Amino acid sequence: MLELESITLATPQRVLIRALSARVGPGDLLVVMGESGSGKSSLLAYLCGTLAAGLTASGRVRLDGRDIDALPTVQRRVGILFQDDLLFPHLTVMENLLFALPAGAAAERRARAEAALASAGLAGYGPRLPHTLSGGQRSRVSVLRALLAQPQALLLDEPFSRLDMALRERFRSFVFERLREQRIPAVLVTHDAHDVPPGAQVIQLDDHEGAAGDA
Amino acid sequence: MGAPIRPVTSTPARRAWWLPAGLFALPLLAALALALGAALDAAAWRRLLDDPALWPALSLGAWVGAAATVVSLALTLWIVTHLHGSRAWARLERWLGALLAVPHAAFAVGLALLLMPSGLLLRLFAPLAGWESPPALATVQDPFGLALIAGLVGKEVPFLLWNVAAQLRPVAQATQLRQQLQAGQAMGYPAASVWWRVLWPQLMPRLSLPLLAVWAYGVSVVDMALVLGPTRPPTLAQLAWSWLLDADAAVNAQGAAASLLIALLVAAGALAAMLLARVLRVPLRARQLHGDRPAASRTAALVRPLLGAGALVYVAVLALLAFVSVASVWSFPALWPQRVSLEAWMAVRDSLPVLADTAVLALAASLTGVVLAVAWMETAPPAWDRRAAPLVFAPMLIPGVLLVAGLYQVALRLRLDGSLAGLWLAHSLFSAPYALVALAPAYRGFDARYEQTARALGRSRAAFLLRIKWPMLLPPLAAATAVGFAVSVAQYLSTQFVGAGRHATVTTEALTLASGGQRTLLAAFALLQALLPAMAFGAAWWIARRQARRLGTEG
Repeated sequence: MLELESITLATPQRVLIRALSARVGPGDLLVVMGESGSGKSSLLAYLCGTLAAGLTASGRVRLDGRDIDALPTVQRRVGILFQDDLLFPHLTVMENLLFALPAGAAAERRARAEAALASAGLAGYGPRLPHTLSGGQRSRVSVLRALLAQPQALLLDEPFSRLDMALRERFRSFVFERLREQRIPAVLVTHDAHDVPPGAQVIQLDDHEGAAGDA
Repeated sequence: MGAPIRPVTSTPARRAWWLPAGLFALPLLAALALALGAALDAAAWRRLLDDPALWPALSLGAWVGAAATVVSLALTLWIVTHLHGSRAWARLERWLGALLAVPHAAFAVGLALLLMPSGLLLRLFAPLAGWESPPALATVQDPFGLALIAGLVGKEVPFLLWNVAAQLRPVAQATQLRQQLQAGQAMGYPAASVWWRVLWPQLMPRLSLPLLAVWAYGVSVVDMALVLGPTRPPTLAQLAWSWLLDADAAVNAQGAAASLLIALLVAAGALAAMLLARVLRVPLRARQLHGDRPAASRTAALVRPLLGAGALVYVAVLALLAFVSVASVWSFPALWPQRVSLEAWMAVRDSLPVLADTAVLALAASLTGVVLAVAWMETAPPAWDRRAAPLVFAPMLIPGVLLVAGLYQVALRLRLDGSLAGLWLAHSLFSAPYALVALAPAYRGFDARYEQTARALGRSRAAFLLRIKWPMLLPPLAAATAVGFAVSVAQYLSTQFVGAGRHATVTTEALTLASGGQRTLLAAFALLQALLPAMAFGAAWWIARRQARRLGTEG
């Protein structure tokens, strides 16, 4: 369960997001919609603890009952997926996955990475370098990588917008199915209404001051 | 309402940012303070101002610096105006790195072997002129410093071209440039006119720092001047250097005062150029907006032959170093030596420790420089990063004689004078800024989302740096190391002075031999001085290529 309590984000010039509150249950999805500049990427940066210097924030973020808003990124257990796959280009697909897996027995970690690849139709792709994969394959690997780090919540920063239409549809269901299966709460920011699955909570940010959830 | 508003920073582990800055700035500032202390001696200034050698040397130094700067700038503007956008420009851009990698001293020695009365050029003309022995012409070390100016121009034009290329390389810049050129041509101006009237006025301000470096270098150069420069009188930098090396402490103080005078001359020249630019702004703007459409320039046809000649000089310089090193008997005006032998190289083999010292020192200094540069960029708050820029450029703008005089005092107080540790300190201080400048674009351009991703995957900053960021940035890290290596190998003043003459490198050997008669040995050491950095750049190039091959980013 991811709980956002009256989150306010501001630059020195203006308030980007005012008093946003939401609860996202296990396997549920919160969609935050808005134009570019409305502060939706800053919201994700705040949630995973990488807010740029110069922005100020207030509010509380609770994840499975823990207050995480003061924790460093590494301890939050909040994963993030960007528009680009951001696979580490010098590591093989397998090494990318191993980088994400928690420490443990070598054979077991490898087996889990192999299983994850097989589940995504990518069995045998482990030794390959990212640049030899297609765009759709790379996107799937980046999702596997994020999930193997065992996040308790996942943030999605327009991860579908780079893909072409046919691919986008399949990739969306690939991601949402996994989030439901693993019961991970997720926050998706997008400006494309097609990205919103049925049954998701939607918050609309305005691009001018005093956005959604104004109390 | 929620918790009180507080600033949030993305990266907590940045408390030690003052450490790399301090390691670099403290010895530098101490050296400057001590140099100023030594130079602000009333008696020394009186002796300096009374010295009849001062005024001829001062005007000669100013003339050499000014002429080299103006000619280099003019050639650079002219070449870019007529060549940019062509395939020849792309080829030139690829070769600039190699031209920059040729050390100043090695270039000067090779140029001297080409131009001197018994040099290759006059041998070629000997049959026509009927010379039986080397003519009594001052073709190097001429009283007007023309050979020195030629040597400086040969090294500075590639440097300025490289700076222009760096300005125009970013995609946004290149697009804007192309569109402005098209717009101007659509209004009926030839491309060259668009450059002079629209593009250069925008680009010139960004060339001011490199130009200042060229001017400062030209006024304060010692190593090239020892080979090519006038001797009676010498330039002020040569004079200051000989005074600093003198056994008499009073003469040393006079040398320190002269070094400060060179720094004042650099500053005065910069100020004069700024005033001139301000005065010329209005008439130049009027000229740019005059509205006439001149015919396409006829000098454009000369650019390629001139560049060809320049390339030929570089090839001749390096080839001559190799050739002369084995020409043990080569009397004038023969084109081929009477006896070819490896005697000079046997002598080099006997002084293998010199080669090893040079390489080890350069490796230690360049790695220190890169570590300092990386530590600074990983920890410095952005505001300080911007504020530190002048300090980074200080070692490139402050006359070498002044800085070295201060560094010697620092080494003396740390009891490091004459030791390899003292040399390591001095060379690191000179290498670090170049390593930073070479590394910064790639390092600062690294996609921050990789770090966010790695951290969100639950991995530490150390794991991110060691496994992701530094391996991905290996090619620029290697390139910066090679740059630092080249800077260290080329050090002459600091090696001689801080090392108290006790540690020889290929550079000090070459410049010591430059005043003697062992021409084959001189050529051999000068060639080695060029080969060592070339090997470092070759290694960096190989690392970059291997990474590009592996990651499929070639071409």
